[in-house]
Amino acid sequence: MGSVAVEPAQASALDRDVACRVRGLTVTYKVDNRELSALRDVDLDIRQGQITAVIGESGSGKSTLALALMNAVSKPGRIAAGKVTYRDLGEVTAMDSERLRRARGRSLSMVFQASQNSLNPLTRVGAQLLDLARSHDMRDPRAVLREAAALAERMSLDADRVLTSYQHQLSGGMRQRVGIIFGLVLKPQVLLLDEPTTALDVLSQSSVLEIVRSIQRERQLTTVLITHDMGVVAELADRVVVLYAGRVVEEAPTTELIRHPRHPYTRALIQAIPRLTGDPSLARPLEGQPPSLAAIPTTGCVFRGRCPHRMEVCETSTPGISQVSDTDHRYACHWEGAAND
Amino acid sequence: MKSLIPRLIRRLFGGIIMILAVASFTFFLIHLIPGNPALSKLTSLEMSGVQPRQAELEVSAIYGFLPHQPLYIQYLQYIWQLLHLNLGKSIMYAGISVSHLLLLALPWTVFTVTAGIIVSFVVGILAGVLIAVYRDRWFGNGITLFSTFLHGIPQLIMALLLAYLLTTIWPIFPYGSPYKASMTPGFTLPFIGSLIFHAILPVAAYAISSYGGWALTMKSSVVSVLGDDFILASELRGLKPRIRIGYIARNAILPLFTTLTLSIGFMFGGSVFIEQIFDYRGLGYMLITATTNLDYPLMAGAFLIITTAVIVANILADFLYTAIDPRIRVQ
Amino acid sequence: MSAAVIFPPDQAPTTARNPSLATIAWRALTRKSGRIIGVLILLFFISMAIFGPMLYPKQLPINGANLYAPPSWAHPLGTDFEGTGVLAEIVTGSRYVLSAAALAALFTIAVGTFMGIVSGYFLGLTDNIIMRITDFILTIPGFPLLIVLSTIWSFGSPIAMGVVLGLTGWGGLARAVRSQTLSLRERGFIEAARGLGLSNGHIIGREILPNIAPYIAMNLLLSVTGAIYAEVGLFFLGVIPFQANNWGVMLNLAFGNGAMYTPQSLLYMISPMACIMLVTFGIVLTLDALDEILNPRLREG
Repeated sequence: MGSVAVEPAQASALDRDVACRVRGLTVTYKVDNRELSALRDVDLDIRQGQITAVIGESGSGKSTLALALMNAVSKPGRIAAGKVTYRDLGEVTAMDSERLRRARGRSLSMVFQASQNSLNPLTRVGAQLLDLARSHDMRDPRAVLREAAALAERMSLDADRVLTSYQHQLSGGMRQRVGIIFGLVLKPQVLLLDEPTTALDVLSQSSVLEIVRSIQRERQLTTVLITHDMGVVAELADRVVVLYAGRVVEEAPTTELIRHPRHPYTRALIQAIPRLTGDPSLARPLEGQPPSLAAIPTTGCVFRGRCPHRMEVCETSTPGISQVSDTDHRYACHWEGAAND
Repeated sequence: MKSLIPRLIRRLFGGIIMILAVASFTFFLIHLIPGNPALSKLTSLEMSGVQPRQAELEVSAIYGFLPHQPLYIQYLQYIWQLLHLNLGKSIMYAGISVSHLLLLALPWTVFTVTAGIIVSFVVGILAGVLIAVYRDRWFGNGITLFSTFLHGIPQLIMALLLAYLLTTIWPIFPYGSPYKASMTPGFTLPFIGSLIFHAILPVAAYAISSYGGWALTMKSSVVSVLGDDFILASELRGLKPRIRIGYIARNAILPLFTTLTLSIGFMFGGSVFIEQIFDYRGLGYMLITATTNLDYPLMAGAFLIITTAVIVANILADFLYTAIDPRIRVQ
Repeated sequence: MSAAVIFPPDQAPTTARNPSLATIAWRALTRKSGRIIGVLILLFFISMAIFGPMLYPKQLPINGANLYAPPSWAHPLGTDFEGTGVLAEIVTGSRYVLSAAALAALFTIAVGTFMGIVSGYFLGLTDNIIMRITDFILTIPGFPLLIVLSTIWSFGSPIAMGVVLGLTGWGGLARAVRSQTLSLRERGFIEAARGLGLSNGHIIGREILPNIAPYIAMNLLLSVTGAIYAEVGLFFLGVIPFQANNWGVMLNLAFGNGAMYTPQSLLYMISPMACIMLVTFGIVLTLDALDEILNPRLREG
């Protein structure tokens, strides 16, 4: 199986199966008068009705990506270049603040990392759901409460209790589920999940993910799952995007990626999972640290500092995108070995 | 709501203990005054030929106890009289009961202090929000500097400056009485208007000398709330700006209530200057006049009432806080 | 045994070895021009209090023909209702004001620090009792308390004044020192020292005190401003018999003698107030520098 270099796809009218197209997305943070890139030249297609996972270590820019997908990067960061276009909404990177506000929480909703702290501590959960409904001019706010109660029951929460509770009366796991309810209750077209289960123990983690999965299937909900956990990816995602130091280094359907990882970083990630390789002694954690924002090289390959196959060319030239022929498996690496399984 | 009632009872009980402690303090204070005024009054009455029984009655009416009895009896008499809201009789306003005098004085102090607290609280919160919003610009820095500066000026100086500059140097406001002398007090529009007009400077003196504290606390509170996760969440959920501002405001104002307690005491304490300077016959004025005229029953009574007012105001502030913060109210 | 045995060097906020304290102080002072001004203001008033009264006779002359005079060479700040030079009154009055304030600050710090450390160190019943007293002291409004105390204690002299202000004003500091002590406790300092078999006195004196010393130093200066307001206020109200002239007495006499009603008394009215505000201003600016000198974390930034 050979590989051919391809041109990055043109940002044209979106295909029917693409819900969101990201082109040339660069997000910078201003630190000490220097503009540091947290995301650099990211191209991404998020498929309609599928779960697309974005995997990366902390500092890879995955949370920034989640915010950028909602055009919600805040100071000192900004979207320096690129476009994020949704099939049903248009280009969010060009929206005025009121259109953006209407889109957020309604069509594009996000369950974010610190979701257990995402509630106003001074009002009851139900009142905050009503605030949400009113903010998006729902004709029947009560229906939103009923929908929330139904979701709560599905997540094995006592709906009446949760809706009349204050945040401090709920456990961390309950709050995170409430955060997910807020994300689903207005029936969004696209759902962004940023590390949605970090506060949960392993058992409730898998049950919550299962519920998210089943609702996603029912509604054919386009979902972006941001995570550092390859296990979660393997269970849930249809496609995987691997992010390293603000760049997309590999992108493929989940089974393809796990069976035939190309990029040395992806290979290392997959080798680090004991249950996928079978023998625990074969599991090798990735050595070294991802570079800090200020230390990301601006030329050459961003992974070369930790790469076992590093070559001279990696220092000077940024690897282009290669596509594995006859598949939609892409990766960015100079190493010839990457082309072979 | 479950823990609300026990909390109320606990606070009220604590308040009563405190008032009792203050009453005991004033009782012993009067005994420590050089020359034992109560006893010397009794002696001088008897010397001037008043019947001993009559003299005892008179001294007891003034001080609330009989000075030649054992101390614990005197103490019990004094507390017993207090429980009947009897604070003795004034000496300088001969024959008038202290509670009557203080009842007349109380409204003046409560009116100006309450107005001062409300004005400084509101202005302080607004200024704090402005500083927080414009915190990296000259406008915000300017307000910060101004607030810090005014915060450093004590009430005495603020009151003197306002009174001198705005009534004598630039005669804009009236000075020297709480309402126009030619008016008859009553529920008439001109009278109330005059009251308010005359109250502007004293209330301003209270407010200006303490709004800066609110402003600076509010600023750091707003900044910290703006950094909270739930505020980011409310933005990502597309909540309307009006609703978001409500979320921010309620959460940011909350920490101010813990400082309200100190501020109330500070305000009531300042009444001794502000009422003296603007000639308000309030509690602070009574305290000063009684002290300088050696009218000890009136002095003790005024002190007790000022402290009681502070304690009651603190309990009210605590309940306001409880009403806003469900984390205390609902366990 | 030194503090460094228990506290890792980077956690012990006692004086850093390198660079020298003088260098750090100089750098902190010169970083913002306001700080130098603050220190200069303080030095100016301190020398006024020490040397100023020597320039004037013990009894300032009065001059019935020269009431509320405008500024002149003889009286740069004009004269008062008796024709006495305002500048002379300011200068001779500064000694009482500043010495009483300094003494009051010392007493406040001593009582407050003691109560706070004992409370936070021993906890339990001791803590409970001290905190109850503290609550009580903090609830009772300060000025009314001082006024009624003036009937049983004549605090006309700077020392007596300092003692009274110290005994009534320690509440806030005690609370703060207690929480500082508690935070040291939470960081395991006290348990570690106990584990080494050190005595309570040693732990309090050698381990806790040096660690909260910067905080106390800041409060010392801050207490000076509070003490100035308190004493000036008491003299203004006239509840304390006064032997010598001071700024509070000036305000009392001005108020009592009708200076409020005439615009001619502008300098007489404003001068003592301006001095009080200037001293406060100098203290606040100096505190800003002191904060940086004593707080290593600010120095880096």
